Amino acid sequence: MQIEFKVNGKEHNMNVQPTIRLIDLLREELGLTGTKEGCGEGECGSCTVIMNGKAVNSCLVLAPQIRGQEIFTIEALEQDGQLSKIQQSFINNSAVQCGYCTPGMLMSAKALLMVNSHPSAKEIKTAIAGNLCRCTGYNKIVQAIQEVAVGDQKLET
Amino acid sequence: MDKDFKYVGHTFPIHDAPQKVRGSLGYLSDIKLPDMLYAKLLLSPIAHALITRIDTSKAEALPGVMGVFTHLNTPSKTYSRYRIVPNQEFCLEDERLLTDKVRFAGDRVAVVVADSKEIAKQAIELIQVEYKALPVLSTPEKALQEQVTRIHPEGNLLHEYEYKLGEQLPLTEDCVVVETVTNTQKVHHAAMETHVCLADFDSSEKLTLWAACQGVFGVRTIVADLLELSYNKVRVIKVPMGGSFGGRQETILEPLTAFLAKELRRPVKLSLTREETIISTMTRPATTSRIRTKVTKEGFLAECSVDTVLDAGAYATSSIDNTYVMSKKICKLYRIPYYEHSGKTVYTNTPVAGGARGWGAPEIMTAIEIHMDEVAKRLGMDLIEFRLKNLVHPYDLDKTSQISLGNARVIDCLEKGAEAFGWGKRFKRETDQGRFRRGAGLACAAHKNGMYGGFPEHSTMTLKMNEDGSFILNTGLHELGCGTITSITQIAAEVLDIDPKYISTLEADTECGPYDFGSYGSRVTYICGACAYEVAQLIKKRILECASQILQKPIQYLEDKDGRVWVSGDEQHSISYRDIATTAKIKHNTDIVITHTYHGTSNPGAYAVHFAEVEVDTATGRVRVTDYLAAHDIGKAINPGMVEGQIQGGVQMGIGYALYEEIRVGKDGSILNSSLKNYHVLNAPDMPEVNILLIEQGGDEGPYGAKSIGEIAFVPVAAAVVNAVNNALGTSISNMPLTPEKILNALGVKKHAN
Repeated sequence: MQIEFKVNGKEHNMNVQPTIRLIDLLREELGLTGTKEGCGEGECGSCTVIMNGKAVNSCLVLAPQIRGQEIFTIEALEQDGQLSKIQQSFINNSAVQCGYCTPGMLMSAKALLMVNSHPSAKEIKTAIAGNLCRCTGYNKIVQAIQEVAVGDQKLET
Repeated sequence: MDKDFKYVGHTFPIHDAPQKVRGSLGYLSDIKLPDMLYAKLLLSPIAHALITRIDTSKAEALPGVMGVFTHLNTPSKTYSRYRIVPNQEFCLEDERLLTDKVRFAGDRVAVVVADSKEIAKQAIELIQVEYKALPVLSTPEKALQEQVTRIHPEGNLLHEYEYKLGEQLPLTEDCVVVETVTNTQKVHHAAMETHVCLADFDSSEKLTLWAACQGVFGVRTIVADLLELSYNKVRVIKVPMGGSFGGRQETILEPLTAFLAKELRRPVKLSLTREETIISTMTRPATTSRIRTKVTKEGFLAECSVDTVLDAGAYATSSIDNTYVMSKKICKLYRIPYYEHSGKTVYTNTPVAGGARGWGAPEIMTAIEIHMDEVAKRLGMDLIEFRLKNLVHPYDLDKTSQISLGNARVIDCLEKGAEAFGWGKRFKRETDQGRFRRGAGLACAAHKNGMYGGFPEHSTMTLKMNEDGSFILNTGLHELGCGTITSITQIAAEVLDIDPKYISTLEADTECGPYDFGSYGSRVTYICGACAYEVAQLIKKRILECASQILQKPIQYLEDKDGRVWVSGDEQHSISYRDIATTAKIKHNTDIVITHTYHGTSNPGAYAVHFAEVEVDTATGRVRVTDYLAAHDIGKAINPGMVEGQIQGGVQMGIGYALYEEIRVGKDGSILNSSLKNYHVLNAPDMPEVNILLIEQGGDEGPYGAKSIGEIAFVPVAAAVVNAVNNALGTSISNMPLTPEKILNALGVKKHAN
């Protein structure tokens, strides 16, 4: 099937199998391997991307669902060679260990901050409840998200 | 510590954090080689059976399929996935690449290699297997009772041992005897990246393996000997990995992937799904420990007798050693005049047990710390007072190994931790009434620092000075996500007094790098860190010698600071590392490079005391951990931010161990929860804030006094949480995990008893 969609500000018009998952389209067809697979059933959140402003598990989204949609992946957070504040905050707060959950975690955090620039710790924990991390115990991740200042939250394309 | 350091003791992010936050770090699952093929496993759906027939013809006929392999066309030679060095003791060679007899639901029956993942998956569906079912022995009890059915020809009892230390005194009226039985369960490591391996066999007859592993030399010894290749023809390269926790210590996928690449002479990638990773790789072993202590009425331990049974699952792997090390922990924690331990390692038709964070320590420390609470209750003694009478003191001898426990600061952890946590106010002397009940628990724990005392212990590194005065530190290290590379770099930077950004520390590669046993056994900071310290000291000496030659000043008048060598007392007179390196090379025909092997000669204890507060909902049986404090005797925290992360991550894993996590196996050996949908890993809302207290007293041979942290961080957690639940409810539950069902049952039993 032919579909049009936007990824990280770039228009795509592709002929794809209707059963292809968004994660495979991103990783295999577009080479955007920052999005990780950890379970393939929407339980771990490693594959989180932002679709129309909301964090979604890209392993649960099939090609027909992205028709006309705007998608942002981890590769969109860095702008003009500059890390975004949320990325920098993860680094500064030692919130990165093995790093496999990090892209998904960052995208869930970003989706939250796009609609709520002053989230409480509870709101942050709820926003990343679908993102599993086995290394950090989440404390430093929550701290990193809390520390991000307002003003950097609109994803420019 | 008496000195302020420039780099050691300061927080640095993990070295590859900038790539990780960009999503640009290439994990094995992200790497594609030209002409790469994809392998897919066929795993046994049943737990115990002979394979009577396999028909692979339809799979072979599928376009795009490059090879289908079963036990019929793969080597029958057996191997041990655990072996680290050739001729290693207790490495039973009971496993083959693809089996002719399935021993658990998840055993490897066949593998397809194809042009694409999709074709490989389709082809797997086309393989027809006929099985002749055998009786399933799903628990150690069943396996030990069984007279006829043998999982392996040697029998179901894989190994047993017994030893006694000290002198047994006659039982007097002044003593009480307490016995407890603690069960710990099979757990999934749950590293976020599932298992994957990539191999290539090139036209020079050389095998290359890209391995997300904890020990490249262990992988090489197994794979090379199995495939009958000389070691120089097998290159194993450590690549980035999405977590490990012991789950990548053993060589699981590499032998088969290497065989496939060699057969097909193409790069082959074998990737497992989450379900395949849960059931077919490794689990934490399930254990039962019966502990019997004789304690004087004043509260001093007189005797401790432990009987452990460890469920190895279907293959031996590291389970004999794992059972054995369980007997080596209690005497690192408590002074016990008479200690005896017997252990049995038993095959069952269940997923394979193996290395897991803490290696036996979490299992036995959970058992002893639940036991210690029971003894204190029996004596009517305060939990802390009772422990303080029995805990080891600095520089005690470890009764089991006869090695010094070093500057063992567990008493500091207990006293200072209790004060910081507000233990006195939180511990319930009277059980709450009402639906929600709070309670507090604590647990002490001991672990180790490397393998000295039971295994060879050394590490080699090469430190090279580049022409511009920067450095390359070539090591056999494996970054598992703990910050190893960063902390090792900080140590070298501190010695050389140079910004860590000018030192590149390389990870393990059997072809280009020096030898190291691997990242396990809590040996990396203590042993490899000491190696980094010494190699940096040696190259510093060489740098000063070169500077002495260049500046024409005796070496005792020179000192190094900020990447330069200065003439003492003369602020105008100095030479940069760059000028030293270049001048040495050009004018003095000297290359500044040192290769050094460090030999471990000590193995002090690593200690922690954890404090948990819980709230139990007596209507649903659900437990919430509401507050937590972890006190650690770490010697010196090289990188405090990463140390805290290790501890907080250990607590996350430990709460899951105490309350939720279990790979459940049915009576027929089927796996009842093989997905993250029904295997609950703690998420952010489940997780309490973890307060941390570090005791940094140094005093041992680690770099700058540092001791291990990654494993010990997990060791006391489950016992602290279980003890807190028992405090909240007035129960004595010791059968993990504490599921709502078990809690409600215990409450029911208690009510009935009242």
